[in-house]
Amino acid sequence: MNEKTELRIIGKPIPRHDAWEKAFGLTCYAADFSLPGMLYGKVLRSNYPSARILSVNTSRAERLKGVKAVLTAKDVPRNESVTRFGQTHVVGGGFEGLYRVLADRKVHFMGEAVALVAAEAEEIAEKALELIRVDYEPLPGIFDPIEAMKPDAPLVQEGRPNIITHYEVVKGDVKMGFSEADIIVENTYRVPFVDHAYLEPESGMAWIDEDGVITIRVSTQVIEHFRGIADVLNLPHNRVRVIGTYVGGGFGGKEDITVEAFLALLTYKTGRPVKLTYTREESILSHSKRHPYVMIYKTGAKKDGRLTALEAKLVSDAGAYVYLSPWVLLYSMVNAAGPYRIPHVKVDGYTVLTNNTFTSANRGFGAPQVCFAYESQMDELARRTGLEPEKIRMMNYLEKGEALATGQILERHVALQETTEKVIEALEERTLPSGQMRIGRGIASGMTSYGRMVFLHDTSRSHVSIEMDGSVTIRAGIQDIGGGQASSLCQITAEILGVPIEDIKIYIADTALTPFAGTTTATRQLYMSGNATLMAALEVRKVLVHKAAGMLGIDPESLDLVDREVIDKEGTGKSLPLKEVVRACASDGVPLYHVALFKAPFRNIAQFERIEGQVFPDFTFGTHGAEVAVDEETGRIQVLKLISSFDVGRAINRLSVEGQIEGGAIYGMGYSLTEEVILNQGITMTPSFSEYLLPTSMDVPDVETILIESGDGVGPFGAKGVGEPSVCSVAPAIANAVFNAIGVRIYDLPLTPEKIVKALKEKKDMG
Amino acid sequence: MEYIRPQNLKEILHLMKQWKKKATLIAGGTNVIPDLRARAIRPEVLIDISQLKGLSYIKEDKKKIHIGALTTVSELASSKIIQKWAPLLSEAANQLGNPLVRNRATIAGNLADGSPAADTAVPLLALEAIIVIQGGKEKQVPIHQFFVGPNQTVLKRDEMIKEVIVPKCNPNAKTAYFKLGLRNSMAVSVVSIAVLMEMEKTFCKKARIGCGAVAPKPIRAYRIEEMLENHELTERLLRACCETIGKEISPISDIRASKEYRTEMASVLLKRVMKRVTQ
Amino acid sequence: MKVSKTYPLKLNVNGEWKKAEVTPRETLLHVMRERLSHTEVKEGCGKGDCGACAVLLDGKPVNACLTLALQADGQRVVTLKGIGTPDKPHPLQESFIKKGAIQCGFCSAGMIVTAKGLLDKNPKPSREEIGKAISGNLCRCTGYKKIIEAIEEAALKLRRTKNDRR
Ligand SMILES: Cc1cc2nc3c(=O)[nH]c(=O)nc-3n(C[C@@H](O)[C@@H](O)[C@H](O)COP(=O)(O)OP(=O)(O)OC[C@H]3O[C@@H](n4cnc5c(N)ncnc54)[C@H](O)[C@@H]3O)c2cc1C
Ligand code: FES
Ligand code: FES
Repeated sequence: MNEKTELRIIGKPIPRHDAWEKAFGLTCYAADFSLPGMLYGKVLRSNYPSARILSVNTSRAERLKGVKAVLTAKDVPRNESVTRFGQTHVVGGGFEGLYRVLADRKVHFMGEAVALVAAEAEEIAEKALELIRVDYEPLPGIFDPIEAMKPDAPLVQEGRPNIITHYEVVKGDVKMGFSEADIIVENTYRVPFVDHAYLEPESGMAWIDEDGVITIRVSTQVIEHFRGIADVLNLPHNRVRVIGTYVGGGFGGKEDITVEAFLALLTYKTGRPVKLTYTREESILSHSKRHPYVMIYKTGAKKDGRLTALEAKLVSDAGAYVYLSPWVLLYSMVNAAGPYRIPHVKVDGYTVLTNNTFTSANRGFGAPQVCFAYESQMDELARRTGLEPEKIRMMNYLEKGEALATGQILERHVALQETTEKVIEALEERTLPSGQMRIGRGIASGMTSYGRMVFLHDTSRSHVSIEMDGSVTIRAGIQDIGGGQASSLCQITAEILGVPIEDIKIYIADTALTPFAGTTTATRQLYMSGNATLMAALEVRKVLVHKAAGMLGIDPESLDLVDREVIDKEGTGKSLPLKEVVRACASDGVPLYHVALFKAPFRNIAQFERIEGQVFPDFTFGTHGAEVAVDEETGRIQVLKLISSFDVGRAINRLSVEGQIEGGAIYGMGYSLTEEVILNQGITMTPSFSEYLLPTSMDVPDVETILIESGDGVGPFGAKGVGEPSVCSVAPAIANAVFNAIGVRIYDLPLTPEKIVKALKEKKDMG
Repeated sequence: MEYIRPQNLKEILHLMKQWKKKATLIAGGTNVIPDLRARAIRPEVLIDISQLKGLSYIKEDKKKIHIGALTTVSELASSKIIQKWAPLLSEAANQLGNPLVRNRATIAGNLADGSPAADTAVPLLALEAIIVIQGGKEKQVPIHQFFVGPNQTVLKRDEMIKEVIVPKCNPNAKTAYFKLGLRNSMAVSVVSIAVLMEMEKTFCKKARIGCGAVAPKPIRAYRIEEMLENHELTERLLRACCETIGKEISPISDIRASKEYRTEMASVLLKRVMKRVTQ
Repeated sequence: MKVSKTYPLKLNVNGEWKKAEVTPRETLLHVMRERLSHTEVKEGCGKGDCGACAVLLDGKPVNACLTLALQADGQRVVTLKGIGTPDKPHPLQESFIKKGAIQCGFCSAGMIVTAKGLLDKNPKPSREEIGKAISGNLCRCTGYKKIIEAIEEAALKLRRTKNDRR
């Protein structure tokens, strides 16, 4: 395909095919599915954050009429295994998290699964849980990661130190850097546990098919957990099949195994179909959270604003199990200095086990945490140097060709100058203050990678074929979590094969039938599977064009596929219906399908302790601007304007891209203002959506999106990913706006009214 | 568990007498159903009064408004009668929970539940509403005597709320309801204050103040009322009131806010409602 | 285990009378999903905090999880599927699709039902009124902007077709 060919479908705001089914209530989400004779599964969870299990007595539960299975750790063929999160390349370096299906000797966090039940009715399963007797001996727990790092701290997991990993990033000599600085800003930042709060709680259904294959239909971001599930059951990998449903929101929370292993065990033991859906309370209690961090930042600059040094110490709370904590920390390490040119950098990072709810992936994956710190620091430096916040940033932004502190060269366009200019422009006139309302505005920039870390050797496959009537089929093992993942593959294929999007049917997320496309995480699907699909579609196109050229007696170079026809671009009026070309290929035995494999760059990391070189394929850069009204007396913050500007490379589907960016901005606003999973000595104090507060439609401003399309991404047609980047710099933009409004900086998220009032009072007391 | 849907008041009363502690009355169900789900209550019988249309009305006579027990919070919010004669009640109703909940939640359920933060209770305190309780015989309880403690009221096992009587506000009265929550919808009050004042120029002839979420039950701020009533309203007096309110309340700390914050906010909200009514 | 007593229930769902035997504990949400196959009604929280389960009950949007099935006995229930079908789409459904108001779609059923309740009562809502009407419906994906726009557009379209008919 010619670079200059005008795009017909890419870049247009096309309604997604899945939206159609969803608007009429036709989409069958995980919990909407049932089978005759199915049982209901339930999970018994620990009421203690740290306790020894003295005994588990299930006999009364087993005797209850209608109960078909009661399982504990001893019933799990391989209870302790490691979770590899779908990747197939073994990397070591602490990257395989220990995963225990059911607690055996000890429980390590409140809500840890202890036993499973399957029964004829949900009510019976619930009753059975009440009849299981577990004797616990409560043990002292450790709930503060800083405390857990101390040498004499009690161990969370027997036989392994609380500190899971320690990484560092070193560039130059920070000592020297700080000696060159005229201004040094040093602060400690804290960010909380956050729930993904997808509207669809975890759910799935498992059965054994007529061949004896354990089949699990589940709401997940990673169908390739099928390998881990097979390992738990001690079965060959090809005996477990996972079918992914359209997901009612993921945001990283359905990246780890949720209900799958439980379902597999219950169906394996009973031989019956089993359904398991979490309640909201169970979801909040038991699934991963975004990592809380303590971040000590020291940033130095010259009087004129040029940065000289940055030193940071990051401590993240991994909770009771490892899961993705080392990975998340690694992301934070690479991002810790932000998109800035800093000659001297030192970052130390630790991720530490505690008896809190375990933490893992959450939209942004370690980037939003450090962004809150480095962008608050930048604002502080702006104040100290007397420069406008945008000026000091623009002076220090990295540019294409420059290197991150890790040494990774930014080989692609860095659009921060533009995104920041656009945001400042869009903020327009300042709203006038009234009464006790103080108005303030702030900006923050961020960088977030898209695509997985290069040492994971990430790959994706896609299968494109054309049928005898000219309709097109895509098969790709992607999971669609609401971001339009499936429909963008349709758009790409429609563009390449010159057919309307209605002619395309896509089959997704089935480990038995669709080629492996990897996880829908790390903002990687458009990049990875978009490229794989593009490659496959181009191959099919090549075959068709070649055939048509022969049929028409025209040079293939001058042919194009448009509106179900092969046409002569030169305007001779010669053309053939696509169908006819397809038929000709078929009768000649020319393959009308292609499976493409797309490989991200593969690099290995020499050593994990000290992170150097390229870690990610590329980054998405952007800036957020916020205007807030702060009520000086009550401390309540209302966000009046929220502006997101991103270089998206190329907007494959404008509606989807805007949707991601708007949703991401409000996700970030929740992080800034109201969202926090409060754990008191390991006990969840925010068990439901009455306490865990998401923004409502009355809390949000109209997010304004400004897209930059540099065309310089590594995705198809030069696209970059936006799913996660859209969250990254919202919190610091809002915190900076609050500072601008009331002259007080809050170092802990969320910015609750109470913190604001307290800080204002302290400021007043100090005169 | 059994389920009974009585057809009239007499039947309800009979059933309550018969089942006593084993029965739970259910109206809109917005408290009862979450409690059933959480197994916080385990009644043997549910007496469903939600379909008794006869208990859902808003009527007025010369001096009073009569609100049937089953009137929904949405109806309170949109009623012309209430907007005219008890505007702070419709203001409060408009801020209870969320629009979907308001279509089910009833006034009697909100009062009988006895939450310290109940959004209809606070304005009704300022309005000096009367709760009409039907048991063996009918009695009228002034709302300030109705609440006893957290989720506790004077209602006995065989009694129910039949009606709420609200004296019409003097057309010259100034009223306001302010609620402070952690978000703009679906927010339980951190503090709420309702005020009714009758003024002659700057002279306060009558002051009634209700407060929510600052004590074990919704309360009246009597001391502040006394400070205001029959006094010339001065900046100084208002400031003194805002300083005093802290002594009249006994808030707790919970995940939404600390005791200290609530105390301070009671004073801030009082200042704001006063400002609004005196403008 | 003591089996709960069941009671007969008659519901008019999207214009069709349906019958079921239900226990007092069962919510309208549970009965719709588990007994009447109306899985388009979603459960996001089970206690009134999210609005995913919204249905019209005698014309008013309510949380199906906060209503016992037996409390709805004899009444009219309208779900997303009762508002429009692919053959006869309602303007709300069309505008939700067209405006990108649907991402994961888990909130959409409740959103569209709630919006229908609003437009039936107030055909010309302001943006604020729309924002307020859906403030009991959480959406984690969209940030609400496109949802509010979609409802605005549907309202406009409905007003136009009404005027045309006159
Ligand atoms: C998501 C959500 C948000 C909420 N937000 C708020 C809020 O912001 N502010 C607020 O104030 N409330 C809030 N509530 C609670 C509010 O909905 C209830 O208090 C409601 O008003 C109760 O009315 P109901 O008809 O639903 O009562 P039900 O749940 O039916 O009953 C509540 C109690 O009252 C008893 N009862 C009911 N009717 C009578 C009667 N006539 N006589 C005697 N006893 C009776 C019942 O036995 C029960 O004990 C919220 C609830 C939910 C689910
Ligand atoms: S499921 Fe009913 S409001 Fe959430
Ligand atoms: S579209 Fe996912 S919750 Fe609204």
